Amino acid sequence: MQPEGSTDNIMLALRERAKELHCLYNVLELMNRADLTLQEVCEALLVVLPPGWQFPDACFARVTLDGVVHEPPRALRTPWVQKADLVVHGHAIGSIEVYYTQEMPESAEGPFLAEERKLIDTIAERVSEYVAQRQAPRVAKVAGASGRGAEWRVIVDFLRKTDPALVSRLGRRMLNYLSWDGILDAQALLQRAAAALAESGMADENRPIDRRNLPPPDAMTEAFDVAARHLSGDEIVNCIEKWIKDDKSSFLIEAVERQHTSLAEIQHALDRYESFAAPDRELSGAVQKGLRVSLARRLLTDDVEFVNKAKMYISVDDYHAVLHRTITPAASHGKLGGKSAGLLLAARIIRHAHEYVDTLGGIKVPKTWYVTSDGVLSFIEHNQLDDVHNHKYLEIDQIRREYPHIVQVFRHSQFPPELAHGLALALDDLGHVPLIVRSSSLLEDRMGAAFSGKYKSLFVANQGTKAERLRALLDAIAEVYASVFGPDPIEYRANRGLLDFHEEMGLMIQEVVGCRVGPYYLPALAGVGFSKNEFRWSPRIARDDGLLRLVPGLGTRAVDRVADDYPVLVAPGKPGLRVNVTPDEVVRYAPKKIDVINLETRRFETIAITDLLRAHGREYPMVRQIVSVVDDGGILRPVSFGWNPATVTPVVTFEGLTRDTPFITRMQALLRVLRERMETPVDIEFASDGRDLYLLQCRAQSFVADAAPAPIPHDVPTDRVVFATRRFVSNGRVPDLTHIVFVDPDGYHDLATQQDLSDVGRAVGRLNKLLPRRQFALIGPGRWGSRGDIKLGVQVTYSDINNAALLMEVAARRGNYVPEVSFGTHFFQDLVEAAIRYLPIFPGEPDVVFNEGFLRGAPNVLGELLPEYVHLAGALRVIDVPRATGGMVLRVLMNADAEQALGMFAVPAESVTAARAQRAVPIEPASGEAPVSVPEEHWRWRLAMAERIAADVDPARFGVKAMYVFGSTKNATAGPASDIDLLVHVEAMHEQQQALAIWLDGWSTCLAELNYLRTGRRSQGLLDVHFVTDVDIERQTSYAVKIGAVTDPARPLKVGPAA
Amino acid sequence: MAATGFNSFDMAHRQFDHVADLLDLDTATRALLRDPLREYQFLIPVRMDDGHVQVFRGFRVQHNDARGPSKGGLRFHPQETIDTVRALAMWMTWKCAVVDIPLGGAKGGVVCDPHHLSMREQEQICRGWIRQIARDIGPLTDVPAPDVMTSPQHMLWMLDEFEVIQGGRHYPGLITGKPVGMGGSLGRTEATGYGVVFVLREALKVLGIDPAGTTAAVQGFGNVAQYAIQLYTQLGGTVIAVSSWDDADQVSYTFRRASGVNVEELQSISDKFGGIDRHKAKGLGFDVLPGEAWLEQEVDILLPAALENQIRGDNAERINRRVRVVAEGANGPTTPEADEILKRRNIFVLPDFLTNAGGVTCSYFEQVQSNMNYYWERDEVLSKLDLKMTSAFVAVHDVADRQTLSMRDAAYVIAINRVAHACRDRGWV
Repeated sequence: MQPEGSTDNIMLALRERAKELHCLYNVLELMNRADLTLQEVCEALLVVLPPGWQFPDACFARVTLDGVVHEPPRALRTPWVQKADLVVHGHAIGSIEVYYTQEMPESAEGPFLAEERKLIDTIAERVSEYVAQRQAPRVAKVAGASGRGAEWRVIVDFLRKTDPALVSRLGRRMLNYLSWDGILDAQALLQRAAAALAESGMADENRPIDRRNLPPPDAMTEAFDVAARHLSGDEIVNCIEKWIKDDKSSFLIEAVERQHTSLAEIQHALDRYESFAAPDRELSGAVQKGLRVSLARRLLTDDVEFVNKAKMYISVDDYHAVLHRTITPAASHGKLGGKSAGLLLAARIIRHAHEYVDTLGGIKVPKTWYVTSDGVLSFIEHNQLDDVHNHKYLEIDQIRREYPHIVQVFRHSQFPPELAHGLALALDDLGHVPLIVRSSSLLEDRMGAAFSGKYKSLFVANQGTKAERLRALLDAIAEVYASVFGPDPIEYRANRGLLDFHEEMGLMIQEVVGCRVGPYYLPALAGVGFSKNEFRWSPRIARDDGLLRLVPGLGTRAVDRVADDYPVLVAPGKPGLRVNVTPDEVVRYAPKKIDVINLETRRFETIAITDLLRAHGREYPMVRQIVSVVDDGGILRPVSFGWNPATVTPVVTFEGLTRDTPFITRMQALLRVLRERMETPVDIEFASDGRDLYLLQCRAQSFVADAAPAPIPHDVPTDRVVFATRRFVSNGRVPDLTHIVFVDPDGYHDLATQQDLSDVGRAVGRLNKLLPRRQFALIGPGRWGSRGDIKLGVQVTYSDINNAALLMEVAARRGNYVPEVSFGTHFFQDLVEAAIRYLPIFPGEPDVVFNEGFLRGAPNVLGELLPEYVHLAGALRVIDVPRATGGMVLRVLMNADAEQALGMFAVPAESVTAARAQRAVPIEPASGEAPVSVPEEHWRWRLAMAERIAADVDPARFGVKAMYVFGSTKNATAGPASDIDLLVHVEAMHEQQQALAIWLDGWSTCLAELNYLRTGRRSQGLLDVHFVTDVDIERQTSYAVKIGAVTDPARPLKVGPAA
Repeated sequence: MAATGFNSFDMAHRQFDHVADLLDLDTATRALLRDPLREYQFLIPVRMDDGHVQVFRGFRVQHNDARGPSKGGLRFHPQETIDTVRALAMWMTWKCAVVDIPLGGAKGGVVCDPHHLSMREQEQICRGWIRQIARDIGPLTDVPAPDVMTSPQHMLWMLDEFEVIQGGRHYPGLITGKPVGMGGSLGRTEATGYGVVFVLREALKVLGIDPAGTTAAVQGFGNVAQYAIQLYTQLGGTVIAVSSWDDADQVSYTFRRASGVNVEELQSISDKFGGIDRHKAKGLGFDVLPGEAWLEQEVDILLPAALENQIRGDNAERINRRVRVVAEGANGPTTPEADEILKRRNIFVLPDFLTNAGGVTCSYFEQVQSNMNYYWERDEVLSKLDLKMTSAFVAVHDVADRQTLSMRDAAYVIAINRVAHACRDRGWV
């Protein structure tokens, strides 16, 4: 027997015990088979015996009974044999022999273990009894030793001989089990055992209890006698079997629970555990859960909610499989990070969704390798780059300046050997498929999607020789690692007080789903899905109908809002209701570009869809499901054959996909299952290569930027409410508003001429340019932008409203007719991509408040802004909210979960500047957190620069009479991307003005560069210069209205050098 | 509708009354032409995708069919009102009459928003509309066509339902706007743009200007503008400026090149909506100017072919002294104030009503071909269009000349006069 102590030895011993017990069970099982003859039982013994020995592969058995010899064919007798006689009534009637076919290491009895001697003796004894019973059946029955009933005794006896400690633990467990079941005998026994301990000073509660040994094994075996009186033999055997397996896994629990075990050790423990070939599910429920929880904590996250879900779905086997594809630095204690954890859980949930097997059965997850979160630390340490950790405390412009160097340094650094080795292995496993390196950081896990996208995800074409591929992969990883120290995430962390958070970044190295089309590699389609639809384009769509953003090719274009392109939107619950209906709309809002990996140049590229289809349309998978054709003014689905995308005008509609394939049903089921099981709305990424559907990412939707529900206060005084509504509310944030443009439904209806009606639209367009961007709401009757009866809605195009923050449609009853609202359908996708919120209101309905008193009564500043449209003042009202309310702003809170939206006057918070500054930047994590203050330096710096320009300008040379600054710089609302609006009052001299324009252009370019260093926002120029002349000022045309304006006037600057 | 405020049918009445005064029409004729001959309003129950039944309101207004089967579009619009439909039906009567095609005027629609309907539901509305009105329309009585938010697909569903009701007999002439190969006509895409230039050519002729050597500035680069530029260039003219909407910048720009515009070249750098790529245009030697610069160019001809209300009181004065003709390719590009300014400056205005009637004329050709079940080649369609447009211009100009009316008034006068005559000749009044 090996010396005790090391885990290895305990393991080995336990494994042997398990084998032996298993063998014994099988023998006992045979004894219960009434259908077999004695000779058949002997034959069967040849099969069940060898696995009980230490080297089963080199082992065979030979059974002799009543002179008949049973042995495997061509069995060769060797000197390495263990033998036990079969004895009935004192007479030897045969024997059991176990042979090794080759020499094995020396042990207790030749090559045989001491336990094996006990095993063969036990078996021989049992077989002898069995033979005796078969020969004298009546005696057996009298003895009452019915089948399994007595088995547990054989097992316990055997164990007592081989592993007394195990018997003791089992006995203790049996005692507890019986006591909890209220069995008095057991409780008495337990008390007796406890009494032995009670002598010591239990009374003194502050003193640690002396450690006592548990009752000796003999006392514990008594427990089985008690059990025999209350449980059936089968029950006892089952308990013993289960507990022995639990006992076996204790080493694993220990390995996982101990904080200092490295991931490598855990993996090792899992390997050994798996080698038991004892399926996970045979462990008792509690132990299984315990293991799953511990593994989830070590590998995934400390988040209790998440662990709670993970323990239900992710099995020990799953962790084992994941660890086999996990690359860890030496002695790693890292985690996989938020993104990996989310995907892992989602994939298991789908696998367990048995009731959806028809729809979700085929959904796959791309093959993925993981690098643990501490890989980045080991990389930094290995290259002595530790200084970089303090880099985050530098000034942001310095960080931005140095960042390109950090990227270069990282790319030229060596990877620690464990990582490089692991990645080389991963490449062999993944093959030549293009890869994506995705960050999966701890902060992403903590902050949710509000933080995602801050770090890089890079595509790698993965082509060429192994060396080239590895080089490219390492470069990509180095760059992703460097992004931890990028200016944007650092600034974001600084603003939220997260700079000191210990950030680590795990990686997912994932196969890119797709196939080859010409020189490109791309999925047939990809997209993102949301289980809650926050952008409903029809009253018939419910929030729970969900939303898909679909694009052909790589999903990058669906994930981000792309300025010049549109994804196709589908609500899986109402797939028939499309956003775009007329052929014109369908074509206008169709995706025009596609993201691909060019396998020849080995680069990520964006190309025109028409070019791709023209050249390689026939190779494009599912092309007929994805593309429709524009034909003679209509949009038609291509017929089933003979269609050549090179000769017709294709337009991406996904019409075939939604109508002719189960895709939508599957997506709907997928979103539903994930939402139900994760108990939160989710947000997923997916792709299809034309054959299979792949899930790429899954996270809670509540984290998605712009979509956090705002808490609605209940104690707002009536006079501070502008509107309150309870229908078609979406979640989302509207920045605090300083202006309201109100088209009075009655006033508008009373306009007498078509000219006046269309002038309202034109005036709105002018206001859209004049009012501060994203700080005003448009409120008007019926349908904005509709081309129907002009009386029923202001006729505007998207460019007339594109700077608004909120678009409201008032469905004001007129007689017995309530006008329909449009849901913004005429520019719906533009609204979505620009994050302009839409809200209809139905005055007169219960619980709806619409403060027309304020909207009609507040001073109308239209005449001051646009004197030429003053004749519309009865219909068109412009309200300067701070002026009308003594400094307050309009705050709009929208909460779709409560179906409630509230517009109220509020004191502008410190954060107004933040909210005002930039809609494009996701502003908030979940609601309820303290408002985030955005640095004021953006406008201060801009104002200082404007003053500097004015001081430097030579008024005589350029004919400058005066200079002003207006817009966000003047209003202290400038964000990092804002430009500086300058108004220059010039002489009408053309040459001078041109020279000035060139001079200012120089400034503009320099300031853009400086601003880039400060903020990372690239722009062609930072100045937006408007020239006005005396004539303009006299006529109050163009921007001249800003000079001395009543509302939001331009601020004069001191021109020329100080005297 | 309430008594106050703007009403499209009131406006149509005022316009009619003005011309009726010019024509000195008798009371009975006025009464007959002021309102539609027949109006149908009906309900269309549709079982929706979720199983419930929704009832939609449908219309068909036949304003006048004295000159032939009435003709007019079918609108799916949530804010459809009977007054809008009446006004538009009346306008169709005049429009067919001005180009002297033997058709009357009608309009119809369904109060619905296709944005909130699935394709199956829209198909059911189309079929339901036909079932309710089948006995009152037909190739020989009233011919619908696509309009706001209806497409060739809707027309085919309607045609199919009608033919099923007729026991499977084919009546492709029931409806127009069908795709080529399914009863549609070749040449339809070019028709409006070419029609504009046919009329322009005739106008230059009467003004004594040789088209070769003239220059023009065009607003818009959509379907109408592109074909107009193409044909105008073939006549020897040079378009030196085109303005178009830039979707990315959400403003329009004017693209100017003194050497002239080549349509194919511009098409190669524009999107499906006629948006021209600003950067590529610079590369081709175009100056990129503000959107309104097109009307300040030193050219002989202005061709607004984009939106309504583009030449207004506030910018009409900026039109260059050299400009002689404004050809209205778009609907209503000139406001009444601007019209006064143009009149004062003696600029010859080709009214939209006449100038862009190429489209409706081609619809008529489609119906003729459908009724024959024999389809012409493209050139045949376009040469017939030339003939129609030319004689329409000559007739309108003749009236304007003889009665010293503006071309706009003359066009209405001739149209209403033709309809009034037909009513009288039939003995209705």
